[in-house]
Amino acid sequence: MSVLHRFGGIVAVLLVIVLMSLAMVVAGTSPIDGFSALLTGALGGSNQLGETLVATTALLFPALGICLAFRAGLFNIGAEGQLIVGALLAGAAGAQMHVAAPLAIAIMLLLGAIGGGVWGGIAGWMKARFNANEIISTLMLNFVAASVALTLVSGPLRGPLATGAETAWLPPQYWLPTLIPHTRLSAALVLALAIAAVLTWVFRATVFGYELNAAGEAPEAAKRNGINIARLTWLSLTLSGAIAGLGGASIVTGELHRFNTQLSPGYGFTAIAVALVGDLQPLWICVAAFGFGILESGGLAMQASAQVPKDAIHLIEGLIILVLAARRYVATRIEKGQAA
Amino acid sequence: MEILSALIVLTLIKATPIIYAALGGVISERSGVINIGLEGMMAAGAFTAAIVSYATNAPLLGVLAGIVAGGLAGLVLAIAATRFKVDQIVAGTGINLICAGGAAYGLVLVFNQPGASKQVNALGPNYWVLVVLAFALAIALQWLLSRTPWGLRVRACGENPRSVAAAGLDPLALRTFAVTLSGALAGLGGAFLSIGELNLYSDGMTAGRGFIALAAVIFGRWNPLGATAASVVFGLFEALQYVLQGKISWLPADAMQALPYIAALIALAGVTGRVRAPASDGVPY
Repeated sequence: MSVLHRFGGIVAVLLVIVLMSLAMVVAGTSPIDGFSALLTGALGGSNQLGETLVATTALLFPALGICLAFRAGLFNIGAEGQLIVGALLAGAAGAQMHVAAPLAIAIMLLLGAIGGGVWGGIAGWMKARFNANEIISTLMLNFVAASVALTLVSGPLRGPLATGAETAWLPPQYWLPTLIPHTRLSAALVLALAIAAVLTWVFRATVFGYELNAAGEAPEAAKRNGINIARLTWLSLTLSGAIAGLGGASIVTGELHRFNTQLSPGYGFTAIAVALVGDLQPLWICVAAFGFGILESGGLAMQASAQVPKDAIHLIEGLIILVLAARRYVATRIEKGQAA
Repeated sequence: MEILSALIVLTLIKATPIIYAALGGVISERSGVINIGLEGMMAAGAFTAAIVSYATNAPLLGVLAGIVAGGLAGLVLAIAATRFKVDQIVAGTGINLICAGGAAYGLVLVFNQPGASKQVNALGPNYWVLVVLAFALAIALQWLLSRTPWGLRVRACGENPRSVAAAGLDPLALRTFAVTLSGALAGLGGAFLSIGELNLYSDGMTAGRGFIALAAVIFGRWNPLGATAASVVFGLFEALQYVLQGKISWLPADAMQALPYIAALIALAGVTGRVRAPASDGVPY
């Protein structure tokens, strides 16, 4: 193990700092002002910390879902759509239901998982049955999800008092309890961390986890050893979508308290970077999600005070992905050089 | 009759950017590199074309700059995929984020406004040249790939790069060139979007066309002419939503936006077992 290999994450963090400083200089602000705006905006008080953890939670669900699919060698870039469908079902049901509060929250979360699971499952079934490339199908399904959601909340599901494309508000008893008083941080964070723990156990200690890893790393060998690849394919994309959809539902019941077509500023795409930076290890993904949560919430503050647009963060995410992906090769080369 | 001719013209316009990207996809995959970054390369081309046309008031220069920008993004993927042996899917995803984020950032730097550029000089009625060029390039690429020594080498790279090396050629150099060309074509498609069809760049304007183009590559069985025909089909579904708007009362316009994507999904599922990707497609050498 070379230094680069082991500390790839730290190298990535340093790279982020350098790149963001550069972006700030180009935009005409000093990096010190920019970073202090970012950090104060993300961690400067309980309100700020709350918003950072809200973003962390929103990123954590889709990142864990993506992680599960990637482990099986399936590139799910449709977490955004799966999250939207989950949120839509949860929001639609929550606005219509009349049951006891804990049951209502449970039903909304369950519907979120089902919605996301169906959306991911479509791509999984297409892959298992027709060998349809899951990268293209999951991305196409993002657009279909956005179109379905817009159609429904502009028409039949639109709240009677809504100003934009959104459902009616959930009654307050259907809201997930908050973790820090006077912030929007809800118990969804606990749920996300629990899922990370469960996934760690699944990957390390269960037959399903073993089969996932086998199918992802050596599909031919897995097939010869009697692993049912078709079943694994639809199952892992369904579960992957279900986790993302659960995240969508948790945004509805925990944060926005209604479904809105502007609900996700691209969480499902940033989550790809989160999953890769977390090296597909659920516990590291939690750390990565917190890092990106700081960027998301602090980015808004930075945009306001340092004139650095929040969208520039996608640029940085992309660079991190490239550098992390290349580090394995660079590390091997350095090792070879040292051996010679 | 009027509707029919409007539909045909609109189909050709909507198909053009997809054709360019799909041709890029064909050439890249035939050389053995899956180009998931087509979407970002289109965005790079669209954004750069708009910026250069704004700065110079010469849309033609804008188109050329769009080609160069797409080519540079292609070169980044090429180097990542050949020299650094990075997972091609991961690298392509990174490039998509870099290009979309870079363009969003660039809009603020250049125009001091997020979301969309100011209106710029566009090709105007001359856009049809690029429509015709798309089909001409498809025929040229079909001939190049199937009838020339270079085409044979590229195809060999995608099937069995070792045999190319055994013949004394450098598969990595061939792949690098093919993927750069792929990006340049996608960049041209992007330039058509921003200053051919419209006269500005806006965030998200590529709207998944890079991925629809990848579906066209598969549906067209990795052949330039096949991929072009598939792109025209997807263009037709995109055009249909405009022509049918308001004509089908039970189907709202928002729902019709999903048409091209559903068409691509059905196409993907419909070609089962009848197509075969190049043997070394996506495998680093």
